[in-house]
Amino acid sequence: MSTQTLPKAANGISLSIAMAVCRRGVLRVVSRPTLLLPIVFMPVIMLISFTGAFGSLTRIEGYGSENIYDWMAPYVALQGSVFAGVFGSASTAEDFETGFFDRLLLTPGSRSSILLGTVLVSAIRSLFPTVGVIIVALLGGLNLSGGLPAILLLTAASALMASVFCLFSLAIVYRFKTIRSLMIVQLVAFTSFFMTIGQVPLEFMTGWLHQVARFNPTTNVLRFARQGFLDGITWELTWPGIVVFVAANAVGSVLAFRSLRRIGS
Amino acid sequence: MNKVDTTTSPRVIKNFFSQTIVLAQRSLVSELRQLATVLPGLLFPLLLAFTYTEQFERVLSLPGFPEVDSFLDFLLPATVLQMVSFGASNSGTELALDIENGFMDRLLASPVARVPVLIGRVGGSALLAGIKTVIIVLVFLADGAQIASGFAGFLVLTLSACLLVVVIGGLSQILAIRSGSQEVVGATFPLIFVMIFMSSAFFPTELMSGWFKQLAEFNPMTWIIDPLRRLMIVGWSWSDAATALGILLLGSVLITGASVRTLHKKLGRP
Amino acid sequence: MKTVIETRDLVRKFGEIVAVDGIDLAVSEGEVFGFLGPNGAGKSTAIRMLTTLLHPTSGEIYVSGFNVVTEAADVRKVIGVALQDAAIDPLMTANELIRLQAVLHGISRSEAKERGGELLERVGLSGAATRRVSTYSGGMRRRLDLALSLIHEPRILFLDEPTTGLDPTSREALWDEVKRLNTELGTTVFLTTQYLEEADQLAHRIAIIDAGRIAREGIPKELKENISSPTLRVDVEETDLVQAQAVLDSFGDRRPAREGRAAVGLDGGAARLAEVIRALDEAGISVEHLELDAPSLDDVFADATGRRLEGVEEENE
Repeated sequence: MSTQTLPKAANGISLSIAMAVCRRGVLRVVSRPTLLLPIVFMPVIMLISFTGAFGSLTRIEGYGSENIYDWMAPYVALQGSVFAGVFGSASTAEDFETGFFDRLLLTPGSRSSILLGTVLVSAIRSLFPTVGVIIVALLGGLNLSGGLPAILLLTAASALMASVFCLFSLAIVYRFKTIRSLMIVQLVAFTSFFMTIGQVPLEFMTGWLHQVARFNPTTNVLRFARQGFLDGITWELTWPGIVVFVAANAVGSVLAFRSLRRIGS
Repeated sequence: MNKVDTTTSPRVIKNFFSQTIVLAQRSLVSELRQLATVLPGLLFPLLLAFTYTEQFERVLSLPGFPEVDSFLDFLLPATVLQMVSFGASNSGTELALDIENGFMDRLLASPVARVPVLIGRVGGSALLAGIKTVIIVLVFLADGAQIASGFAGFLVLTLSACLLVVVIGGLSQILAIRSGSQEVVGATFPLIFVMIFMSSAFFPTELMSGWFKQLAEFNPMTWIIDPLRRLMIVGWSWSDAATALGILLLGSVLITGASVRTLHKKLGRP
Repeated sequence: MKTVIETRDLVRKFGEIVAVDGIDLAVSEGEVFGFLGPNGAGKSTAIRMLTTLLHPTSGEIYVSGFNVVTEAADVRKVIGVALQDAAIDPLMTANELIRLQAVLHGISRSEAKERGGELLERVGLSGAATRRVSTYSGGMRRRLDLALSLIHEPRILFLDEPTTGLDPTSREALWDEVKRLNTELGTTVFLTTQYLEEADQLAHRIAIIDAGRIAREGIPKELKENISSPTLRVDVEETDLVQAQAVLDSFGDRRPAREGRAAVGLDGGAARLAEVIRALDEAGISVEHLELDAPSLDDVFADATGRRLEGVEEENE
């Protein structure tokens, strides 16, 4: 019998397993490019619709930007990334349906490596809407005064949000094992991106919306992602976003891991 | 146009109507049964309307923006049309489903005239759209919106919603007959959704610029929404009512004719 | 003999339904052990618990000395599993799946390549190794599943209904492979099946499972013999009939037979056949035709559970 060496202790995270799972997920996406179309297409369409329909918002005093693309592009890119994140977990649901997930469950290595690999795929998937939106926005008249740092911030925010929503989705999918169960996460994702500073700054909002948007964590995330595109990158706008990323990913990880452990109970 | 019945004897006409009604009933009942799919179609446009009202208050003071007390007044026709579009292609998806699982064959093998098969279904959807419109108007009124042209305007709005369903439903049925696939028909929904966004639904075209403005001005949705909106916020106008209803009526007639023709073609009739 | 699989009062409930209702078993190293039972008997539930995929409601399971619940990772290192629904990803190729499986078990790439190639060859899939699994037939998928379960050279192999739905040729091929693994490599095999012939052919010991419980357990041959002795029927010339029956009567109870035949329940079974023939020969009786019908496992099942096994193919008994 050959020597079986697991790269890490059985209870620790194995990077090679995570990478193998990630690689499989990426190959999947690449081999079915039509899957990518919706997650790039929809954000681009939204970009065009919002900048076209609401372009004159920039004329209002206090809007926050003179260029509607600078305002809308990060918003739309983030929203697209989040949905890329949710659908990253759809492949796990497929794995349950084909029975392949049993193979993954039989790994002697730590199961959290599988979780990590799946989340990594989501983060990579989020690149597609982000890049797609930036390219179209540039064509449409994006100013991009913040240059490369702005794009990096947006990309980081996209990846981190994709990860958050992938984790929450996985928590659901590990429990219910069907794609339909994702509807609720989609709903939450949609609502959180709806009642936030998507189209207008907080100061423009009135009534119940103002209160909801104030406390919506997505608002901090949007400020974080948008700052490079608007006035400039500052610590005041950065740290709240980081807090949300860390907290949301932590909570999501705990929930997802718990669901994963409970499989088979 | 219609080559189904060449006789116009009272019995044939009576059959025609009763068949249409029965099929409309079937369509209505099935839609109501799938309440889970109907509800988002009602709730989402309302949510959109209320959210936009709270975030676009400052927009009202933009020069060039029509005179309204609240953004809600501005949005009413758009919300109604959006709501309608959610369920409108159901006629098509259901038809495709009937084709896919063979029910259509059974229907066609029975002594049902061809036209009721199509318009019965669309009729059911249209009726449901009318009900939904009433609900939305009531909600808006409860929140303080006003209809400047009063009951007459409300009637025109409701009728427009029903006719829009006939148009979209008819289009989706044509697609269903030609493709036979639920997926294909379902894929049209995002298209309709986007089409509403790229119109004057949420913002006046006067405040748009560039190629988008041109696109919006060319969009038939705009041609319908603008007169309807004037009825809502300015007051009654025969020309506005006629424009909106006229376009939709014309569209309905043309589409219905086209869908019947498509069905005949599919069945191999001359 | 070392016990490599052991369960003590294993129970699994799904809400109100009791799928596994108190199972005790012990499988020795190098054995081929068969769980025989109809659909819904609890076989798949039991095997999922043995392979760490499902937690028992109560009871204990030890595989290779490790507690399946608390030491699951250690168990997974030493077991290979091929379940009823071939656990494969249709979008991947066989090679890619081999590679992934190897990583999951910590096998190096070069080793995986070598071993994978060997295994695919052995199950007859080398030609299709670069094709997407979605293009494979059901039989091919099962074979790939088996290859995947062997990549890490497990000491214990779990097979859940390995030949259900396969054509006879594929079935024979799989049986050959299982036998080879057991006799050449000493792999312990735990399999579940609804096919009597499969249990008969492959298993050293079987347990008949019905409604979540073990109804009977033992070596197939003994189980059959314990039902009753096999019936020996002899065709002789009419003039020899009475004498032939007398000879046979000394070997067991007389059994009913049609005209021209003598029949007896042969105590001691087929092993005594030679004696019978010698005795008949010494009596000067020439035998025209001889039949020995042993009770089948179906008879054992019927005896144990009161029913015939469902879903069994028509067997030429």
